[in-house]
Amino acid sequence: MKTKKIITILLSLVLVMAFALTGCKGGDKGTNNDNQPTKSADTSDKKDDVKEEAPKAAEKIVIFQSKVEITDQLEAAAKAYTEETGVEVEVWGTTGDDYLQQLKIRLGNNQGPTVFSLAPGAESEELKAYLADLSDLTFLGNVAENMEDEIDGKVVGIPYTMEGFGVVYNKSLVPEGSVTDYDTFVKMLKDQKAAGINGFSLSQESYFLIGHILNTPFALQDDPYDYIDKLVAGEVSMVDTPEFVEFAKFMEAIREYTVNPLEVTYDKETGDFATGKSASIHQGNWAYGMFSDYDVDFEMGMMALPLLGNNKLAVAVPTCWYVNSQATAEEIAAGKDFITWLYTSETGERFMMEEFGFIPVVSNMESPQLDPLSQSVSEYAADGNTIGWPNSHWPAGIVDVYLKPVTEEFFTTDLSGTDFLVKLTEAFVQAGQ
Amino acid sequence: MKKITRFIIQVIIIGFCLLHLFPIYIVFVNSFKDRQELYSNMMAPPSEFTLEYYKLAMEKMNFFRAFGNSIIVTVASIAIIVLLASMTAWMLVRNNNRLSKLIFFVFVATMIIPFQTIMMPLMQVMGWIRDTLHIPMLNTLGGLIYMNVGFGASMAVFLYHGFIKSIPISLEEAATIDGCNKGRVFFSIVFPMLKPTTVTVMILDVIWIWNDYLLPSLTLSDKALRTIPLSTAFFFGQFTIEWNLAMAGLTLTIIPVIIFYVAAQKHIVKGVAAGAVKM
Amino acid sequence: MRKRKDKAWYVLFVIPLLFVFTTVVIVPFVIGIGYSFISWDGMPLNPKTFVGFDNYIRIFSDKRFLSSVTHTLLFTVISVLIINVIGLGFALVVTSRLRIRNAVRTMLFMPYLIGGLILGYIWKFIFTDLFKMIGEITGINNIFFSWLLNPRYALVAMIVVTTWQMAGYIMIIYINGIQSIPEDVVEAAKVDGAGFWRTLLHVKFPLIMPSFTICLFMTLSNCFKIFDVNVSLTGGGPNNSTEMMAMNIYNEIFSLNRYGYGQAKAIVFFIAVATITLIQVAITKKREVEM
Repeated sequence: MKTKKIITILLSLVLVMAFALTGCKGGDKGTNNDNQPTKSADTSDKKDDVKEEAPKAAEKIVIFQSKVEITDQLEAAAKAYTEETGVEVEVWGTTGDDYLQQLKIRLGNNQGPTVFSLAPGAESEELKAYLADLSDLTFLGNVAENMEDEIDGKVVGIPYTMEGFGVVYNKSLVPEGSVTDYDTFVKMLKDQKAAGINGFSLSQESYFLIGHILNTPFALQDDPYDYIDKLVAGEVSMVDTPEFVEFAKFMEAIREYTVNPLEVTYDKETGDFATGKSASIHQGNWAYGMFSDYDVDFEMGMMALPLLGNNKLAVAVPTCWYVNSQATAEEIAAGKDFITWLYTSETGERFMMEEFGFIPVVSNMESPQLDPLSQSVSEYAADGNTIGWPNSHWPAGIVDVYLKPVTEEFFTTDLSGTDFLVKLTEAFVQAGQ
Repeated sequence: MKKITRFIIQVIIIGFCLLHLFPIYIVFVNSFKDRQELYSNMMAPPSEFTLEYYKLAMEKMNFFRAFGNSIIVTVASIAIIVLLASMTAWMLVRNNNRLSKLIFFVFVATMIIPFQTIMMPLMQVMGWIRDTLHIPMLNTLGGLIYMNVGFGASMAVFLYHGFIKSIPISLEEAATIDGCNKGRVFFSIVFPMLKPTTVTVMILDVIWIWNDYLLPSLTLSDKALRTIPLSTAFFFGQFTIEWNLAMAGLTLTIIPVIIFYVAAQKHIVKGVAAGAVKM
Repeated sequence: MRKRKDKAWYVLFVIPLLFVFTTVVIVPFVIGIGYSFISWDGMPLNPKTFVGFDNYIRIFSDKRFLSSVTHTLLFTVISVLIINVIGLGFALVVTSRLRIRNAVRTMLFMPYLIGGLILGYIWKFIFTDLFKMIGEITGINNIFFSWLLNPRYALVAMIVVTTWQMAGYIMIIYINGIQSIPEDVVEAAKVDGAGFWRTLLHVKFPLIMPSFTICLFMTLSNCFKIFDVNVSLTGGGPNNSTEMMAMNIYNEIFSLNRYGYGQAKAIVFFIAVATITLIQVAITKKREVEM
């Protein structure tokens, strides 16, 4: 008799689980339909948000991208696009932190987005099997030269914007044009230190510590990519390359005359700069957003890291748009349409220039108001005074996993500049294995 | 004399607790500061207690929606875990044969697997279930609950297993002689006696599921399904982190857990006081 | 007849959870073992090569992984001891008759609720800026300096933060154990003239042995798996001196794209940790008092 009760309990339990599991039978037709509104028992209390039966595949695309700073604005753009064309665009949110990992897991399990972002270089190279051919996009002719991502002769990535990094400096502490080479750089560090100011600052995050600053000696090689290949293969050593020897001298000077970067976070680095406690920092134009809460009472500018008298800023495309080659043909077409709209329509231009604050990379756009740092970057670019970002072609993961520890050792011990170069060289060989 | 020592001990303990809570103090005060104020002094109380960042954080997080999702996932997962794990553990303890030992061993051993190493295959398995059996395991709260049950199983079984042994078997035997079947014995005699352990399991699982980021981030893509930790991810940019919003978001996240904890703890004490007399 | 019924109950009670558990944990884990014999970056469309035991052989010449094993062992042994001593101490305080016990119980529990980047941000501030400040004010520079810049102290910092987090967590389980000690047993001991320490050592401790087993196991496995604190506090630095196994494996899989090799490491890691923790469980289980 009592068994009945138990069986009832268990049955209802199984039912609860079944409910939980089988809530939505409609969302599993194809590759990318996971994003359809769910109608499981668990979400039934939110019916108000559940749209009418989802439209055909090509009527909806999903975007997944890494630049968290433009998430809100991109959503607004998506809404505008839906209003204009009727195609629904969903923007997934993510942290910038683990974006790549999340993207890879989703692509690998056939639940990838239609349109996504990657850094052109090692990242896009690794995932090239997942990148649709975008060579037939109509506006490619307008994209600035060499800015699109081309793999195996096909255009696969459309650039977001340009970004540049170098020395961001306080013009009232460091007169324009006063730092042009190693000697003037060191003199500046010493003078500032005497005045109780930190002359130059890196910070502890891997790219701000070594990833960006080490880019310069690579970019100054005649053929940076070839140099990377040889370095990874163990055919060359940084110790025998003058640009790197000079780089080591710079790093020794930084260690000797400035605050230890391992004690400085990005927030502190930018805060110190904004309040005049540091005269210059090694950063990019993205850092400007960090100053918005401060009353900055000086003029700032960007200059090149004066390695062997270098006067060119490192400017490149940090991120490109890609379309998922594993999506259905309709979705790919819809994804391309969205990108085309963003780059050619008036609304698209307004969003890219005004809302995203991007520096134009297509000839048909012009930016009305750039912040001072982006202004600097765009001037360097216009004058052709730029070097590239070969660091995006370094072996995957090298900055976090290999270069940062070596640099930490450099800044916590009295490792010589030469030994530092030896260890950096080793790191490239190991990471390339 | 004794009173004074007692007082001093209490003062020392309170002092220690306050020191212990210093990091939480930092979270709290900095949820009211803008970037400049945070930079200038992280420890000072805020210049004004403006709720601006809380409002903004709630807006950006779509707080109530996320809160609802978190509640659904947490409550459903824990209810199923508690029920199934207590049943399993009890059977394993009371039928301590080779098979039971093996099953228990497998449960316990797998607690050691770092989640990061199985998340890729896990997503593949779930994708496979979705594609072949047409059960939507991915991007549904139900799927997430299912996976939570799987991951919570080991610890819950382990805890129940440990404490069931300290329950005298005599009561169960008496009930069996009275003609109760196993199910009845479990639900009317054993399960109520496990209440303190059940509350403990619930507390530990609430902490874990409520704050879990990695698993939901992999399984839920749909914005409408986001749980609270997923919705705070917004504040962590690739380079720029909005600390004030992040800390306001964190404060909002942990308050419900603390309330739950305070409420649940009472039951542990009560449950034992009531149950212990009979031993 | 009776036996068959018992079996049916057994199946009914054990199978549902076992089924869920198998699909979510066991099957993916077994698939992971399969991948450890393959050289692959984890993306299905990219090439896979079967390499047999090469990935496993390679581990033994991976100096960085081996040194991360050493850090993890050192970290785990020290942390497990401290966390359990403090966690048990907390539990004794909050189950005492002190008037403040309820407030204390809540306060001690709270740290576990803070994790990730915020945890790292705050503790970095404490170990870098605050410690330097205290050092300057008090003049005790040999204790109060930037801990995270010194390999040894960075490890201590990790132990401190982990203890701060876990002690209150483990306290919850100890509370459960202490609360289930029958009052009359303790009273009887008191009547027999046993003092505070005697009661604690000879009456209470033997009775909370199941809690010891559980807490030791949970702290052991949590410390071996430590990841969050590692990434957000020290990031493995300075110079890899605090890189733990889980982080090393994670980097291998997700940063360096060596999926197969990372899986092989994970399997070795699993076998090693399973051996240690199961030995621990076997030892402490023997000491439990069956009632």
